[in-house]
Amino acid sequence: MTTTAWDISTLRGDVRRQRKERRVKVIMSAAASASILVSVLIIYSLVLEALAFILEVDYATLIDIGWFPRRGIFDLRTIVAATLIVTMIAMVVAAPLGLAAAVYLSEYAAPRTRKILKPVLEILAGVPSVVLGYFALRFIAPNIITNLFSSAKPANLAAAGVGVGLLTIPLIASIAEDALTAVPRSLREASSGLGARKKTTTLRIVLPAAISGLTAAFIVATSRAIGETMVVYIAGGAADSAIQTYNPLEPGLTMTAAMASVASGTDNVAGMGLTFQSLFFVGFLLFLMTMTMNLIADRFVRRFRQEY
Amino acid sequence: MATPTVTKAGTDVDILSGLRRKSDIGGVLFRWLLLGSLLFTLVVLVVLLGQVLIDGWPILGSRLGDFLSTGLGSKPETSGIVQGLRGTFYLCLITAVVAFPLGIASAIYLEEYATRGKFATFIDLNIRNLAGVPSVVYGILGLTIFVKGPGIGAITGGSTPFAAGLTLACLVLPVVIITSAEAIRGVPTQLREAGVGVGATKWQVIKDHVLPYAAPGILTGTLLSVARAAGEAAPLILIGSVTGFMSGHPAWWDVGQVRESFTAMPIVITAWARQPQEGFKVDNAAAAIVILILFVLLLNSAAVVLRNRFEKRREG
Amino acid sequence: MTPKKLKFLAVALSLSATAAACGGSSDAAPETGTDGAAGGGDLSGEIVISGSSTVEPISIAVAESFAAENGEANIQVSGPGTGDGFLLFCDGEIDISDASRPIKDEEAQTCADNGIEFVELKVAIDGIAVMTSSENADVECLAFGDLYALVGPESTGFSTWSDANDLAVEAGGNGDLPDAELVISAPGTESGTYDSFLEIVFGDIAEERAQEETTRPDYSSAADDNVIVETISSNPTSFGWGGYAFAVEAGDSVKLISISEEAGGECIQPTAETIASNEYPIARDLFVYVNKAKAAENPALVAFVDLYLAYGLDEAVSEVGYVELADEAKAEAIAAWEGR
Repeated sequence: MTTTAWDISTLRGDVRRQRKERRVKVIMSAAASASILVSVLIIYSLVLEALAFILEVDYATLIDIGWFPRRGIFDLRTIVAATLIVTMIAMVVAAPLGLAAAVYLSEYAAPRTRKILKPVLEILAGVPSVVLGYFALRFIAPNIITNLFSSAKPANLAAAGVGVGLLTIPLIASIAEDALTAVPRSLREASSGLGARKKTTTLRIVLPAAISGLTAAFIVATSRAIGETMVVYIAGGAADSAIQTYNPLEPGLTMTAAMASVASGTDNVAGMGLTFQSLFFVGFLLFLMTMTMNLIADRFVRRFRQEY
Repeated sequence: MATPTVTKAGTDVDILSGLRRKSDIGGVLFRWLLLGSLLFTLVVLVVLLGQVLIDGWPILGSRLGDFLSTGLGSKPETSGIVQGLRGTFYLCLITAVVAFPLGIASAIYLEEYATRGKFATFIDLNIRNLAGVPSVVYGILGLTIFVKGPGIGAITGGSTPFAAGLTLACLVLPVVIITSAEAIRGVPTQLREAGVGVGATKWQVIKDHVLPYAAPGILTGTLLSVARAAGEAAPLILIGSVTGFMSGHPAWWDVGQVRESFTAMPIVITAWARQPQEGFKVDNAAAAIVILILFVLLLNSAAVVLRNRFEKRREG
Repeated sequence: MTPKKLKFLAVALSLSATAAACGGSSDAAPETGTDGAAGGGDLSGEIVISGSSTVEPISIAVAESFAAENGEANIQVSGPGTGDGFLLFCDGEIDISDASRPIKDEEAQTCADNGIEFVELKVAIDGIAVMTSSENADVECLAFGDLYALVGPESTGFSTWSDANDLAVEAGGNGDLPDAELVISAPGTESGTYDSFLEIVFGDIAEERAQEETTRPDYSSAADDNVIVETISSNPTSFGWGGYAFAVEAGDSVKLISISEEAGGECIQPTAETIASNEYPIARDLFVYVNKAKAAENPALVAFVDLYLAYGLDEAVSEVGYVELADEAKAEAIAAWEGR
């Protein structure tokens, strides 16, 4: 062990070690770029055929009597309306339940109760969507919807909407709970200190303070509801095509279910004319819709992160 | 009864004492309303599980072993889910093998290497957007790139578990990245500083200290993502998994089947649920659902247990 | 893609040959009673069948029987519709195309353009059942004119059965339809059942009335007979048509409507007998189309078709509820296959 003079190069360490470090960094950044590649590939997959659809489709067929892709009738109103109906019903179900669950867990539940109740939401979050589709078809439609509304068809959009709603409760609850937990304790303490009751504090102080996070929760859940496929595909009551309707008690196809229908049955998407391309066009619309909502939600999330 | 009317100052005091004495009915109701919502969700879950158990009981109670080991068939009484099970098993395997290393490495890059610049922000935003892309759109990606993509299609063999697994890997990648990044973010900075202080390189610190510390959190996220992959049906429909009949009983460990046609549990359930015969659409579909739920919930509860222990360790 | 896929398959299969014991885990398939070439027992290879969902059950029954004896064979059957089947078939993507109508000239042309030669084999006769829900007590018998008025090209927009009354009488039907909501669930254009129904029921009426031989576009169509039957059984005032065997399979939940060709004519209920005797007016032949080149290179496919023509035409056909061909027709099919 001879003592050598230390200089700055000694501190930098062994060359081989450095090279390895650099290699690791390159590998990691390459992996990180994979997610960008996925985005690029998604857009690439959608754009070509969607463009072919836009260029070749007869625009008169985009407003017609319904969604019949195999007959060359592509009434977009049918599937967009069904999507909005299902999403709205889903949110009517999920927003109050999800928010209430979040408020209870974050403001009221003792740690012990929380530990028991939280997994309920987590289990529900883990239930695959085909299962909720089956449940909507077998239970919600016959036992709830047709009992409430005698004019309802045996399989209808309303039942599918409720099914999608149940699916999104855990999502809303989870994001909303994060938002509520992020509200500083000091605000609650100040409110109580002024003599406000717990309910008043929650409603007047905590909820308004978390509003951007809660907004984000609703937007993300809406986006998720728009993108949900299997519940509507199984329980929506329409098979390959749908007649235009704005009535939630009728069967219908959402954008996602319409895509699955075009692709189902064959081991390859077949069909005359623009049937195949319509799949991509609807997918592209769906991508744009959900992306817009995700980006808006992201803004809200970032705002509430900044606030606290 | 007699309300004491006193001075202004006295009134204030009275209100405060009133607060203490009178029961706060509005507050109690509110509290119960909140708890009620949560309990309602619990009831829904119980009814759901009860319904599928009751519907599936004729099969689960009488010919479970047979149901698990036979293939699809033309009659409900002789049909089983072995091909669906095998398909789902290989899908999960491929998804895990592809998505975990990629996702964890991405998370390491984002948390440990990336400087807070435009590129990192962009990647971050991109990942969060990808997490919100509908699964059916990933199906289009799979169909175009992994099934029919020039070159890639020949490698995957077309509509196969290979192509579907790659697609599902893309689908769960954002989830793996986000949860892993969160776990890595939770590692105390002192741990890193201590490592660097004794002369370890950045990679050595990550490998020997950060990752082991974050491992339970990462594992939680990966388990959840496998559960998600197991339950997805929409992308598989687009990719072209077999929705009708298929024969063929390769052994479980016959890896060659990842390049052959396939079906999976969610697809089998969907196909059965849409049949007119009660035997298929109720008994068989529900029995298959029970098996799928068991598998998915097993993964989920493992993840939850893991996370709880992890949180406890943090708190301690 | 295909040759590579095959090569890989060969490797995979030879690997898995050692696992044969594990492979055919349950051989509880129906007894086959065949004396054909399928007795070999260990043929491997891939057979992909697609096309008509009406023919699908026969193909599945044959496939089950074949797989029971040849554990290594990998057979897929799906039923997207006759039209979609021919699209795939003429692209060379599948080995056998199930069809509930003969191949159309333009489809045959596509096949020829792609250099695909095939054998056409008639396999069974099937009635097309006109159905409603078993809860619908108001409809027992319909004439061709009524059917035309309910779903023909001139019926677009009719939302109740009675909306079609005037047109029905005009078109030579009975009219007198109930004032109930008309919920139609029937095959779509990709289906052979759709084409056959149009040809048999609408052919003359549409010509007489100088209308296109088509349906109203505004009904919920499905390629899958199962989905059609399911929708009909669950809507009390539904109306639709589909393969007879599917309607029978659905049991009490759907009601088969008797059919007469003319107003006031004899109402014939579809049964195996009335279909076989040609009394029931809406019946058609079912076919399978086999790709010759693929049969030449895949011994499993040959054995499969042999089994189809033996076990398939006899037991499988009647087991799934279709009507067997007359003996001459069976002999013709076998001769066509042998002379390929």
